[in-house]
Amino acid sequence: MRNFILNLLKFSLLTALLYLLFLFLSGQFLPALFRPNLVYKKGAYGHSFSRLQEMDSLRECDLLFLGSSHCYRGFDPRIFERYGYSSFNLGSSSQSPKQTRILLQKYLKQVRPKKVIYEVYPMTFCIDGVEASIDLISNSETDKYAFDLFYEVPHVKTLNTYLYTSMRQVLGMDRNFSEPHDKPGDHYVPGGYVEHDLATFEGTEVPRQQWHFKREQFAAFGQIVRDLKEKNIELILVYAPISKELYQSYSNQQAFDQGIRSCGTYWNFNEIMSLDDHKHFYDDDHLNQQGVTLFNEKLIELLNHPSTQP
Amino acid sequence: MLFNSIDFAVFLPLVFIAYWFLTQHSLTDQNGLIVISSYIFYGWWDWRFLVLILFSTGVDYFVGRQLGRESVPLRRKALLWMSILANLGLFFFFKYSQFFIDNFVEAFRLFGNKLETSSLEIILPVGISFYTFQTLSYTIDVYRKKLEPTRDFIAFSAFVSFFPQLVAGPIERASNLLPQFHRKRTFEYTKAVDGMRQILWGLFKKMVIADNCAETANYIFEHSDQLGGSTLALGALFFAFQIYGDFSGYSDIAIGTSRLFGFDLKQNFAFPYFSRDIAEFWRRWHISLSTWFRDYLYIPLGGSREGRLISVRNTFIIFLVSGFWHGDNWTFILWGALHAIFFLPLLLLGKNRKNLDSIAHQKSIPGFGEFLGILSTFALVVLAWIFFRAENLGHAIQYFQGLFSSSLFSIPVFEGKGVALVTMILVLFLILIEWKGRSAKHGLEQLGLNWPRALRWSFYSMIVFLISLFMVTEETPFIYFQF
Repeated sequence: MRNFILNLLKFSLLTALLYLLFLFLSGQFLPALFRPNLVYKKGAYGHSFSRLQEMDSLRECDLLFLGSSHCYRGFDPRIFERYGYSSFNLGSSSQSPKQTRILLQKYLKQVRPKKVIYEVYPMTFCIDGVEASIDLISNSETDKYAFDLFYEVPHVKTLNTYLYTSMRQVLGMDRNFSEPHDKPGDHYVPGGYVEHDLATFEGTEVPRQQWHFKREQFAAFGQIVRDLKEKNIELILVYAPISKELYQSYSNQQAFDQGIRSCGTYWNFNEIMSLDDHKHFYDDDHLNQQGVTLFNEKLIELLNHPSTQP
Repeated sequence: MLFNSIDFAVFLPLVFIAYWFLTQHSLTDQNGLIVISSYIFYGWWDWRFLVLILFSTGVDYFVGRQLGRESVPLRRKALLWMSILANLGLFFFFKYSQFFIDNFVEAFRLFGNKLETSSLEIILPVGISFYTFQTLSYTIDVYRKKLEPTRDFIAFSAFVSFFPQLVAGPIERASNLLPQFHRKRTFEYTKAVDGMRQILWGLFKKMVIADNCAETANYIFEHSDQLGGSTLALGALFFAFQIYGDFSGYSDIAIGTSRLFGFDLKQNFAFPYFSRDIAEFWRRWHISLSTWFRDYLYIPLGGSREGRLISVRNTFIIFLVSGFWHGDNWTFILWGALHAIFFLPLLLLGKNRKNLDSIAHQKSIPGFGEFLGILSTFALVVLAWIFFRAENLGHAIQYFQGLFSSSLFSIPVFEGKGVALVTMILVLFLILIEWKGRSAKHGLEQLGLNWPRALRWSFYSMIVFLISLFMVTEETPFIYFQF
């Protein structure tokens, strides 16, 4: 038995070392198709790298936006600037409450925003958060918070991304990495916003469906609400506009609204505004620049005139 | 609890440590721990069904004891039937009630009568098809006086509920497994290490081969009405490796886990896709079930000793029953029938026991004749799998129509071709390893034993890495759990 346990420990150690070696070689030499559980997204869609780099040097702002792609494609700091608000958009692809909580832990002390505007999209309460963690781990420094992003979403893909990213950073392989601000269809605007080129949307038919929420995402969300309350930072919860076709396809929106409203100030802009699916969106989920302007101006109006709040 | 889950990854080391460090001095403690662990393992799904295992254990223990005391043949027979009816009664109720009701209603409809029924919505208790047959083997063997009835209720409970093979086999014979519960186990290094190797290989087969093949096979079977013949052929091929990886992978993990606890279970799969004819395939596929049916059904029916006609009849019975054992769907029965038809020429020509030696004996590649035999047997098996995988008879017929169309010779076109290509490469790796280890009890048993330790361990580490790199990340249950 003693030999068995001893050899098992030795084998585990060897496997751990070889695992790192194989992982590194796979990441370096294999095409993505041949390494489905090693996803490395440095500088991939969403401009997370540019956003996190900019965020690292930010020291203060009035408004901090957090949330999914609806956030980084939906809140344009240039518009808020015109109305006297300094702001930063810390949204990221499929960002779920689990990632939002860690981002707030990392940046809240550094930035001390007056208000946090959290874009709550029901979908982000229904997912495990693997994709979002991979995106953030790939594009940030491998510090304690990067580890937390893996730890909060323990999954073979987040583990592999964390290990691979760490190895690349230790070896200094990403030291000179820079991300172009212009990518096909997208333009990164300082302040974390991504502007999309396509102006209109032809529309698609969306079948009737339901949200299937995950309890652990609501637990993380509750923690965010409590943390901000403790720190006396005002939290405004925003459901950004999505196309009417998509919005109306969900049969349990009301339940979501009720749950979120019970946690604080909550504005569902799908109920507050009436936008045109064709004129103001570029796909079912995302506003075009015209839609973003209308949405942001309406939000600013509500921020400036609390009496008009719904 | 699934073998390929985090829960099991925590459960197994805990039980292992408790077993070898806390209970090693007492046989009763060892068996008691196995019973408790097995009930936790099973109860993880649905604790309510533990009652069924307890019932089955109680009935067969009691019947076994009574059979030991009873000498009057009529009373002994009555006791045997009591066990058979109790076990198979539950088994049939849970597994086939809906099937019989549906077919009864359908038969009425054919004669112009309409019968209103509501669905019973009976949940199939996981593993019932396995532990029912395992406990029956005990009663029948005691009845036949091939086995002494046990007086140790804890050992018997451990035999019935032994967690590595409780939910998907191998279906162990009481004569092989029960005596092992009567002997105190001592830790054997080589056995435990080989168990670890077998678990590793089983995990690779399940998590890499079966689950990846499933993605392509499921897509093709679900869209079979829109796809060409060559793509459908590919779908059947992927399903063949899915079911092999899934079920033989489970058996490997089960046998390997048992070895960690000092038990030897019988081999359940002996590289069946290298078989040179259908008869050999059935000596190598799900061995524990086919031998069960052979010993407790085929031979009592007369086997092959009472003339050719009886032999043909018995062959059909055993294949049809084997098909029906898999589930309440006509597709399984037809799958069994098709295998009986494939088997028949060998039986009639007296060649069903031709290929008893090892494949490509002492050669690295098979001869031309052997190769043709392997290829044609595999093709027949793959064709039969279409019935097994199809949702219903209509689906199977539609699949065959699509398969044998002019598009059979076109280039396959479907979504996810890239993933299918990668899966194919992984399947080739599986075939290579299994071919190298075809004379052993599992793919990794002999492979690399002569290599330097560092190289051998690195090879195992590479398999760990391949699992991590290619495993399908959604938790997927084993196919045979539904049977």
